[in-house]
Amino acid sequence: MQTRPLGTTGQESTVVTFGAIALNWLEQEGADQLVELVLDHGVNHFDVAPTYGDAELKLGPKLREHREKIFLGCKTQERSYEGAWEKLERSLDRLGVETIDLYQVHGLEYADELDEITADDGALRAFREAKEQGLIENIGLTSHSDPSLILDALDRIDDLESVMFPLNPVVDAKRDDEHDYQAVLDRADHEDVGTLVIKAFAGGSWPSTEELPEHRRPYANWYEPVDDPETIRDRLNYTLSQGVTSVISPGDPKLVKMVLDAGDRFEELDDAAQRAVREDARHDESPVPEQLHH
Amino acid sequence: MDVPETVTAALADRPIEGARCLEAGAGAGNATAGLLEAGADHVVAVTNEREHAQTVRERVSHDRPDRVQVLEADLREIPLPDNSVDIVTAHALFNVVPPAMLDAIAAEMSRVASPGAHLVVDDYAPLPGEAAMRDLFAVENAAAELAVGRSALSFYPARVLRGVFESYEWVHDRTKSVLDPVPWTESHVAAHAEAARDFADGGGTIGNLLAERADEVATKIGSESTGEMYSLAMVLPE
Repeated sequence: MQTRPLGTTGQESTVVTFGAIALNWLEQEGADQLVELVLDHGVNHFDVAPTYGDAELKLGPKLREHREKIFLGCKTQERSYEGAWEKLERSLDRLGVETIDLYQVHGLEYADELDEITADDGALRAFREAKEQGLIENIGLTSHSDPSLILDALDRIDDLESVMFPLNPVVDAKRDDEHDYQAVLDRADHEDVGTLVIKAFAGGSWPSTEELPEHRRPYANWYEPVDDPETIRDRLNYTLSQGVTSVISPGDPKLVKMVLDAGDRFEELDDAAQRAVREDARHDESPVPEQLHH
Repeated sequence: MDVPETVTAALADRPIEGARCLEAGAGAGNATAGLLEAGADHVVAVTNEREHAQTVRERVSHDRPDRVQVLEADLREIPLPDNSVDIVTAHALFNVVPPAMLDAIAAEMSRVASPGAHLVVDDYAPLPGEAAMRDLFAVENAAAELAVGRSALSFYPARVLRGVFESYEWVHDRTKSVLDPVPWTESHVAAHAEAARDFADGGGTIGNLLAERADEVATKIGSESTGEMYSLAMVLPE
């Protein structure tokens, strides 16, 4: 699988990053097998979080066995200095490793959270201390919030090495500022910050839980994913053709293999092909009045 | 209104700002919307279908009555003077123009264009042999032949349309791909199946068979990404 440089970290990440939340839905044996499969495809960047159920614990054994092959990303939703230290130590303990390669502010959602983490008693001070002590190597941030908030974060945090944000053709087809994640990508590129993409395989929102109870959803994703190999390949080719560093595999183990296969076969799309994927996604998302033409 | 990306991509390298424009075969008014967005002085949208004229009025001209004029007319007789427009567009027009009408329409589009005018023709290349969509278009064409004695759809290679317009003094500027492959989504497939059923309606036993066949084929296809949509740009010498 191809690799791309993750900002200035020195890490060359595979174009697919393994989203280890998928391990949460498996027994330990299945989790081990999935990690082996992911490594067989050459994937060298993993992403996990303490909020993904048992994922850290289930990743532990294979992670320790193959520690040198894996660039490990983890994150915390704690915004305070104390809280971040606690969660970092807990993650190191649950994963059973000495260091985390990329420790990320997880799911930044509101402007006041940005104030909190950058304050004197904020999470980033803990991150920086941990970096000095060699417990983490690099600092990153993840958000699926407004692009303007992520741009602010890029402005205000000088030592960010990576940002993780949503990007897919449905979002790209919408041309308002609220969906302008391309602006985030441009800024990150300009500042040589690595770019990791979530929701590349999102189809739409699930129906309401009244219509479709959570336990009856066919996939363990936050959103309804695209789920056939061709569409998955289009989505991956599309997202990587925007120039991002790496795309996180979806949360459901059933879809991981398809994404790995697509990653092995990644091909850059030209403008006409990218437009075709956006047009396709746009029609899927919002059935416009029936038209014969494009 | 939303301008499809196919239109913005096709118009991106044309001098639209301040231009007098004609959208030939306005359909839903997609190119009209794109021309307005790109700063056209005004747009004349010509269509021979009342329903389309209504759609364009509702979607586009409602907000900008001073810049859009919707004309119901046959493109073989465009009700505009000679040399009166700077930009002529035919966005997904020619696939609904049967070969017998092609020349007369090109002649009129050329007559109204002023020296130095730009022509933008966007359309579908003939579908590849293995495309399932061809089966649906075949049924739609058969039903149209039965109902009105001509095909509903004809897919011309870019070079064929280029050649037709070259015979009216237009000079080729560029041909580029705007969609490749073309995503025939479920809603496009459904729209074509419905068009086939409309033609088949009143066609007796054969009509009924074609209508059934259209539904079968559409169900089988679901959606398909195949073929190419191109944009051909030409210029009329000063």
